[in-house]
Amino acid sequence: MNRREVLFGGAAALTLMAGARAASAADEVVIGAIYPMSGANAQIGVDARHALETAAEIVNGVHDLDLPTARTAGLPKLGGAKIRLIFADHQGDPQKGRAEAERLITQEKVTAIVGAFHSSVSATVSATCERYALPYVAADSSSPSLHRRGLKFFFRPAAHDEMFSAAMFDFLDEQKKAGKKIETVALFFEDTIFGTDSSNVQRKLAGERGYKVVADVKYRANSPSLTSEVQQLKSADADVVMPSSYTTDALLLVKTMGELGYKPKNMMAQAAGFSEKAVFDAVGDRLEGLVSRASFALDLAAKRKSIAVVNDMFKARAARDLNDNTSRQFNALLVLADAIDRAGSLDGAKIRDALAATDIPGEQTIMPWRAIRFGADGQNELCDPVLIQYLGGKFVTVYPTGVALQAAKWPMNG
Amino acid sequence: MSLTSFLASPPSRFAARHRRQLHLAVPVVAALAALPFALHDVYLLNVLILTLLYAAMAQSWNILGGYCGQISLGHALYFGIGAYATTLLWVNHGITPWGGMVVGAALSAVTALAVGRLCFRLKGHYFSIATIVIAEIGLLIVHNAEFTGGALGVQWPIAGDGWWSLQFGRAKAPYVWVALGLFAATWLVTWVIEDSPWGYWWRAVKDDVQAAESLGVEVFASKMSAAAVSAAFTAVGGGFYAAYVAYIDPESVMTFRFSLLFALPAVLGGIGTLWGPLVGALVLVPLTEITRSYMGGSGSGLDLVIYGGLIMVVALARPEGLLSLLPRRSR
Repeated sequence: MNRREVLFGGAAALTLMAGARAASAADEVVIGAIYPMSGANAQIGVDARHALETAAEIVNGVHDLDLPTARTAGLPKLGGAKIRLIFADHQGDPQKGRAEAERLITQEKVTAIVGAFHSSVSATVSATCERYALPYVAADSSSPSLHRRGLKFFFRPAAHDEMFSAAMFDFLDEQKKAGKKIETVALFFEDTIFGTDSSNVQRKLAGERGYKVVADVKYRANSPSLTSEVQQLKSADADVVMPSSYTTDALLLVKTMGELGYKPKNMMAQAAGFSEKAVFDAVGDRLEGLVSRASFALDLAAKRKSIAVVNDMFKARAARDLNDNTSRQFNALLVLADAIDRAGSLDGAKIRDALAATDIPGEQTIMPWRAIRFGADGQNELCDPVLIQYLGGKFVTVYPTGVALQAAKWPMNG
Repeated sequence: MSLTSFLASPPSRFAARHRRQLHLAVPVVAALAALPFALHDVYLLNVLILTLLYAAMAQSWNILGGYCGQISLGHALYFGIGAYATTLLWVNHGITPWGGMVVGAALSAVTALAVGRLCFRLKGHYFSIATIVIAEIGLLIVHNAEFTGGALGVQWPIAGDGWWSLQFGRAKAPYVWVALGLFAATWLVTWVIEDSPWGYWWRAVKDDVQAAESLGVEVFASKMSAAAVSAAFTAVGGGFYAAYVAYIDPESVMTFRFSLLFALPAVLGGIGTLWGPLVGALVLVPLTEITRSYMGGSGSGLDLVIYGGLIMVVALARPEGLLSLLPRRSR
């Protein structure tokens, strides 16, 4: 046998093995996961992999947890079929996301796709899934435009950006009703998609609900100095300062406030930098009483056993606690597994119908939500964001009252 | 070829070789056009489409960078103009992407002339740096402007498949043909220019500006015309890309990465040659796509290491590009 024959033989053997794998496909459900696995956001993809694998472990094994499909091995209506995940890398590029979605669907024969962190990639991947009549579950892409395109195969269990800001103003309304003085707000936001979007919604809501925007400060992301911007905040001295900033800017903002001797009456953040451990490690002492929005409340584990167990399982893989992103990714796969099981089929249209009929009460998830029920547009409207407050060196859930462990301290410096 | 034999039979040898290139091009294009009939795998067709698109873009870049010697690292600007013109006209005004591509090409050519007016006084590296900066300015403008959708980007609606809307649902073959058409057009223009007075002027400018000027070559006009042709074709590619992906945002069509990706195939294949861009794209694009797809999911970054390693090997072993591996006569 010469070298060429060996090569051909090897290729043939590989092909046969691939065929054998396809033949056993009946006892497994293949689900595609599209995430940034390389490039600037690679860590997001690595964490997502741990979160999704934790979820698959819970579906595939027997776990005494009050979560969908946890107590049975695999998916019972599909004869105990196991979930197998295939990960693909989109590098934050919508074109690559679309190509990978096509590859997963046509070559790997996935049943459904979960993704994708970047909203821009979710836009193209969901359109591709629509073309192939296959469900797409957006775990952690939060742009509101995604569910407004009339797609039939698009589902988002978690909140979109507008819901986050609405929750913040609901909280302010409630404090106001309780007799606290809140009349003015200051917006402070970075100039990329995140800050721009966030501030647009906040400005609109402030107008609608009768709060006066006394400072509207846009700054260049990763700017070396924020002195003049903080001066504006200081002279306006609003009742609530609302920053939309990533990690480095959040750090600089807090430091500059200290240097200029400005102590805001209250701060209410659009997560991002203000939910990063790094920020609180560095300047946590100056942030006592800060309120941030969140999708996930780890302290709810005191009330709900499954959260603690899942967190431990995740921590064993990733060496860190579940956070906003990983909890949503975990949850998305369980929602999908639940629907595939109820559909009792790998047919895209049937799973789509099952997803549309999803009805999971909040207690049967790890999320602080009322329930998971999708509207006609595929958006879950019952996934209330929570507000968490930084008190005594850790975050405590303070809103909404249903899941809050204690009342908010307001004003934060009072 | 000695000087005397060159003078004895001046045009015929070159003309014959030039014509031979056309005889080679016809079967190559025909074979590529037939590929979708043999190849049904969606993923491989996607790789083919991207390969042809990048070959066309590298061919466009080659007109300015390879033949006229002006190394632009700002072609993402023209690509973006084409993508945005096509997208905004289709999504907001219902004007067919074909029309959008023409508008984008015209806009890009005008922009290239404006940029050229400013920058062609600069030489060598200074020109390259200026093109990077101007493309970055364009990116920032699109990022912050309202009418472009800003950082949110613009999505193409899922409706009305067909040649009019350049949307084909699951079908990939039509995109192969459009990308191939674009490549064939850029190749043909390059081929025609090669043997035209403009082609001789451009190459003279590339070799030695002073010498060219002393022989009466219009240096500034040469650079300007090469830039306009190059930019116009790049914009058509941008329009095609927007229609193909059906979603654009500033990050996905206008970043510096694209400027590099247009130059790389030409450099790898053979700068200033007729076939270099296609050869370079045939190596680069499948390699990046396939390594990412089959190794990228692991998160190890091995795909990027292989990619970078290959470019280094070619750069070190064959600085004139892959085409220099062929014997000189057949090039």
